[in-house]
Amino acid sequence: MDSIFSYLNPDASGSATGPLAGIKIAVQPTIGIAGWPARAGSEALAGYLSAGSATVIDRLTQGGAILTGLTHASELGLGIDDTSTSGRAVETKTVHAELMLDMAGEARLSACRGNLWGFKPSWGRVSHTGIAGLIPSMEACGILAQDPATIRSVLKTVAGADDMDFSQPRLDYKEISADEIKPAQFTLSVIGEAATLLSGDERKEFDEEIARLKRYGFNVRTVSWPDYNLCLTVHRIVGSVEASSAAGRYDSVRFGRRAPGTKNWNEMYLQSRGAFFGTLLKSYLIQGAYFQFERYDAYENACRIRARLLKETSRLFEQADSLVFPSQKPAQPVSLDALYEQFKLTAHANVTGCPALYMPSACAGGQGLEFAAGYGADERVIALGEYLHRQRAGGKL
Amino acid sequence: MEFEAVIGLEIHIELNCATKLFCDCPNNPGDDANVNTCPVCLWFPGAWPRLSRAALEKAALVCLGLNSEIQPESAFDQKIYYYPDQPKGYQLSQGHLPLARGGWVEITDEDGSIKRLRIHHIHMEEDVARLVHEMDGATPVSLVDFNRAGAPLVEIVTEPDFRTPHHAMEFLKTLRTQVRYVGSSECSMENGTMRADANISIRPVGTNQMNTKVEVKNMNSVRHVGDAIAHEISRQSAAVRVGETIKEHTRLWDPDKKATLPMREKFEAPYIPDPSIPIIEIKPEEIAALRSRLPEMPATRSGRFVKEYGLSAEEAAYLSSEPETASYFEELIRLGVAARTAMHWVSTQLLPALRQRNEGFAHTSVTPKRLSELLAMLAKDEINAAAARDVLSHMFASDVSPADIVKARGLGQVSDTGELAAMVERVLAEQAAAVADFKSGQSKAMGFLIGQVMQASAGKANPKVIKELIAQKLSA
Repeated sequence: MDSIFSYLNPDASGSATGPLAGIKIAVQPTIGIAGWPARAGSEALAGYLSAGSATVIDRLTQGGAILTGLTHASELGLGIDDTSTSGRAVETKTVHAELMLDMAGEARLSACRGNLWGFKPSWGRVSHTGIAGLIPSMEACGILAQDPATIRSVLKTVAGADDMDFSQPRLDYKEISADEIKPAQFTLSVIGEAATLLSGDERKEFDEEIARLKRYGFNVRTVSWPDYNLCLTVHRIVGSVEASSAAGRYDSVRFGRRAPGTKNWNEMYLQSRGAFFGTLLKSYLIQGAYFQFERYDAYENACRIRARLLKETSRLFEQADSLVFPSQKPAQPVSLDALYEQFKLTAHANVTGCPALYMPSACAGGQGLEFAAGYGADERVIALGEYLHRQRAGGKL
Repeated sequence: MEFEAVIGLEIHIELNCATKLFCDCPNNPGDDANVNTCPVCLWFPGAWPRLSRAALEKAALVCLGLNSEIQPESAFDQKIYYYPDQPKGYQLSQGHLPLARGGWVEITDEDGSIKRLRIHHIHMEEDVARLVHEMDGATPVSLVDFNRAGAPLVEIVTEPDFRTPHHAMEFLKTLRTQVRYVGSSECSMENGTMRADANISIRPVGTNQMNTKVEVKNMNSVRHVGDAIAHEISRQSAAVRVGETIKEHTRLWDPDKKATLPMREKFEAPYIPDPSIPIIEIKPEEIAALRSRLPEMPATRSGRFVKEYGLSAEEAAYLSSEPETASYFEELIRLGVAARTAMHWVSTQLLPALRQRNEGFAHTSVTPKRLSELLAMLAKDEINAAAARDVLSHMFASDVSPADIVKARGLGQVSDTGELAAMVERVLAEQAAAVADFKSGQSKAMGFLIGQVMQASAGKANPKVIKELIAQKLSA
């Protein structure tokens, strides 16, 4: 199979009309397309063909987009590892955009890896229907592209109320264009605690990026979010607990492979469950089960702290149009700790449900920046990205 | 040492909704295996549940019918446990924020007093799939039927207010009546639409201890619930008397052995909030609108029957125990049948006949209108009671009017005194011994003589007229 794609659409033709006519899209195999393989990078789902299409897929095809094929995913989309080809199809300009799950930062990390733009919408902005995730209260369908305008087009097509997803909050999302961004009136708050997580060289690069924003005329200031580092802890506890439940669906009996050589039906069921998950995912699920059964108090505390973090971000956005975070390219996750090391600068947006946009560095090999906006202000952060992209295109560094 | 039991019940009721709780699949668990399934109730990857409004309303009506307070906010959790009948590894239930809290049911205790038994809370949850083990073939197979997976349930969890098997049985009967009244479920333990588990502990009489409880399952009738509780109280009492410690565990009622048998250690599943189903918010005006849909409840209706129709408390309670029976009775009255006649005929003739024919009020050809026509003929002495019973038996088989059945079968009552007088003369002449008995003061002889005349008239004579004629002749 293709080094980028795990499955290529045998009929990769889109409609001649529609807002996305001619736009080629790659899809992570966690997102269901009727009749296509939906292995989601896991042996537990080997051979499973999606029973139906996700709402985002229906909307893409109705919008005229061309579905090019399925990428290779890390197991059930969790984290970015060497098996995952997320971002590669956009990076090589094989497609214009790519859809993938962002449960802890994966879309933004993939963008960082490929020097692309990556966006995670507000929680519930895009329908969950048909997307096989692991952390339902934190995941969103992310979008990768070469520029933020493409992200805006794709978001506009796939977002919005879906009668099949009752969990979506009914919010009025305000359209904001790049023309409405007035740097002098636009406050960017740099989270000081996030910057302290960087190495010396990374910090230097980050400071240069911030200096560039100031040169564009933005009102940039550094603020403190003392509980920022709790985002990662909360994510690790709540995320693993939800994942432990969610992965229970993939029992390898109804789809995937069954454990061989068992004596009876009950043993077959028990042994098949989880038998085909990889070590990293399995340890994540076991961690979740530990909190479910042995340390429920820690889970409850994490939920309480999460509610507090939501209030704290609301207060931060009262004083800022966008928060600014540094980024780091993801290293191969060889352990749970290494996996969460990937998420230390991205998990905040999944914990709070806020939209977040990764902007690639203007310098080759740079780390780039992440901008977050208040819950529901997806277009504001995209407009900011479009403004900055335009400035760069105009040669303003 | 004397012991008393402390008992609480957990009752699952399957709501009679057209669809399942989180998808549009038909809620018909008895259909051919796995025909009523979809990616949601099979929990395929990417499936996302959508709470049925109809199920929510039916559950809310159950809560209101049981005097339970609907909460302004309730939410679904994942109750985490695995079994092959629930392969997704969790059941959607309401562990933290139930639909309603509190509530009560009143029963008549064994001494005739009214006892209020409290409800702790009522929550919604989805049913699990059904396992079918086929062990007879060369290779035993176990199959999973997902028709029942996702069927809408409410669970009623009581306070440990029960002390006797009688309390539990009466509670279940009253609860069944009240839920049937609100129209949310058939509540049949025999058909599995109502299932009850009992938590039982014992303590020395006069103490307030709450000791280790044992859960008992697998009772499929109200009688079995009573029997299982009685057995468990005896078992625990005997165990404590010989110094054994009661351990928390689950037992199964074996109706053949008439004993509870150990099943497994008690398992407490953790609950985590489910993010896929939004919090259920119910506004006071929505609760008021639901409350306005409640029918007159059985206790109120029974009280009104006593007051308005002069029935005894027992008669009124009997007629009110099923909403269809009570409505049928009142319809007869509206059509002009005297209350006592209606009560008598519904309870002693109609209900036994329906039961015998396995018919319900909804489908029987003996509509209130037709029965009222029959009872009007009886009231006007156009037929006698025996003939009326005969006509009723024919009314089940056809839609012919009662009057036509009477005519066709020649069942019209003979009230003509001339015709009857001749019969009376003949019977009195033939039954000299009975006549002598009556004249010597044995009043029972009158009944015998009336019976003889009825026989002579082939059951068509008016017994009242016969009695008058016999009395006249014998006093002459």
